[in-house]
Amino acid sequence: MKILLCTNGSAHTVRALDLGTRIARAVASGVGILGVVEDHREDEVRRLVEAAAADLEGAGVPVATHWRTGRLAEAVVRQAQDTLYDMVIIGSRGRRGMVRLLLGSVALQVSEHVPASVLVVKGRPRDLKRFLICSSAGPTSERTVRFSGRLAQAMGASITLLHVMSQLPLIEDAVLDDLEASADELIQRGSREGTHLGGMLDMLVAEGGTARAVVRHGLVVDEVIAEAREGRYDLLVTGAHVTPGLNARLVDDLSADILLAADRPVLMVR
Amino acid sequence: MLEFSNFMGFLLMRLGAKVQGERRVSDVRGRRQGWKRLRLGLAGVLFFVLALALMKEGAGGLAPLLRGHLDITNAADSMGFGWLMAYLVLSGSPVAVAAVALLSADALSSLQTFAMVAGSRLGAGLIVLLVGLIYILRGHERWTALTAGVLSLLLTGSIQLLALPIGFLILSRGWLDGISVPVVGALAAGINWGLDPLTAPLVAILPSWALFIVGIGLATLSFRFFDRALPQVRLEKTNFGQIPRLVYRPEVMFLMGLVVTLFTMSVSISVGILVPLSARGYMRRENIIPYILGANISTFVDTLVGAALLGDPRAVTVVATHMICAAVVSLPIIVFAYRPYERGVSRILAWVTRRRRNFALFMGVIFAIPLVLVLL
Repeated sequence: MKILLCTNGSAHTVRALDLGTRIARAVASGVGILGVVEDHREDEVRRLVEAAAADLEGAGVPVATHWRTGRLAEAVVRQAQDTLYDMVIIGSRGRRGMVRLLLGSVALQVSEHVPASVLVVKGRPRDLKRFLICSSAGPTSERTVRFSGRLAQAMGASITLLHVMSQLPLIEDAVLDDLEASADELIQRGSREGTHLGGMLDMLVAEGGTARAVVRHGLVVDEVIAEAREGRYDLLVTGAHVTPGLNARLVDDLSADILLAADRPVLMVR
Repeated sequence: MLEFSNFMGFLLMRLGAKVQGERRVSDVRGRRQGWKRLRLGLAGVLFFVLALALMKEGAGGLAPLLRGHLDITNAADSMGFGWLMAYLVLSGSPVAVAAVALLSADALSSLQTFAMVAGSRLGAGLIVLLVGLIYILRGHERWTALTAGVLSLLLTGSIQLLALPIGFLILSRGWLDGISVPVVGALAAGINWGLDPLTAPLVAILPSWALFIVGIGLATLSFRFFDRALPQVRLEKTNFGQIPRLVYRPEVMFLMGLVVTLFTMSVSISVGILVPLSARGYMRRENIIPYILGANISTFVDTLVGAALLGDPRAVTVVATHMICAAVVSLPIIVFAYRPYERGVSRILAWVTRRRRNFALFMGVIFAIPLVLVLL
């Protein structure tokens, strides 16, 4: 797996660099470290990049360092477009409300424009030992589960597969059982969601991981965030489901909503 | 080899003939359905204009009954009256049309009519709730069957609560008084002249209140005909085929609800169009909430047509005010505050359908409010 780590010297990018280095040691076949000089902190950025590079080279991981000036989001996007990476790891300042509306979110800009999976490091520093993988029970979920499953295995993390059913019955004789069922019940019943979850669990177990499935009922974003908090997960994984074209104009980007609402690291698999 | 190709040719010919035959049968069936829908649509139009004419004739005589015996003298009791009437006829549109007919005959003021139309919208959701309730009473212990009805009432209630003060302000300040419908007014006069041979005998033998009730009955019947005359809309093959599974942008679903209801004129029919998309009969709540919000604006279109056909600019102003207020309240919610709104509605919905006691309390409240309003 080829990984890009980035820092501009700010505290949140330093946290991302630290976590990214630990992940890279476990899974990377090659790492690019991008130093972005936005203001007068050039020396500090250089020191951080060189320390991370030395750390990874010491662990036997091939490293290439890159330097760019300008805004962090644009620099990361340009770097990821110039060189092919499997995953980009960036930090998030966690702006909220009006400040985010006015200044925008670097994490969101990067995740929208980078042609690779993006891990956004948020919240307090933590070891990635508990993964919560959100599954839409659709065809794109398989790649999300497979990619994050391999990452979890390399990190020695446990996996919980989450599917949220936000559906409501429109007619009185709708199939109501599915709207109140647990993951086990859905799998036993062989419903569309159950079949998908069962298949994904089998795939994860076959690849040597440990996994369980959870189904929650309610609004998708709210239930994902609630499960992440209640289960004290270290990493939230979602798929970047919105495909370009007309569907991008019609379909809501829930991954972006989850990314903005989460208080812990989020991996958006592409 | 030749025999085989002959056989295949024969088989293909037979298959082609069969397909062509099936297509012809389906074309004939389609044409028959088309004519049936056209007849139903025309009958609906005839009944609708007849209902308007009768309600207009009867409304004048109802003024003493409304003000005297029923004591409908202010906006609050007009709202309660419209709300309870909608419960009684299990539909909002005939009551809303009746309200504008009462305004046209000076039996209600503009503010009272605005309130009565709002009441009719609030009472319109009861039918969906009743169907779910009957289902539960027949032994299906699943309170989730009630969610569509409760959701519809919650959404309409939340929008009307915010729209009412804005509407009262617009009407009391006369900001929309300039709306005039001269062409429709002339059309209304023409229709009244054309319907005179039908209405005159009824006017001669029936008292005013009976004319009004017959008018409401005909309006209800005309809406049934319109519902059955609607062509089947198939969304399966469009970009909206994934609505039961994917979460669409709220503004997209809002616009879709608005446009679909412009043609169906009924929120429940518009929601019904979504049902065939899901084999299991359900839809993501993220999609259905903005859809109903959009539908709640254009559902007034039948009342607007009714008001225009009455030829009374005040009636048109009242209904247009309703549409504007619903849009003024809904649009900022969709654009700026959709997630908190969606979350709030979902929480109340979950609470109402969680326990039998909660649902009983909800039912008590939705019957108590209009009763209290009428008694005020």
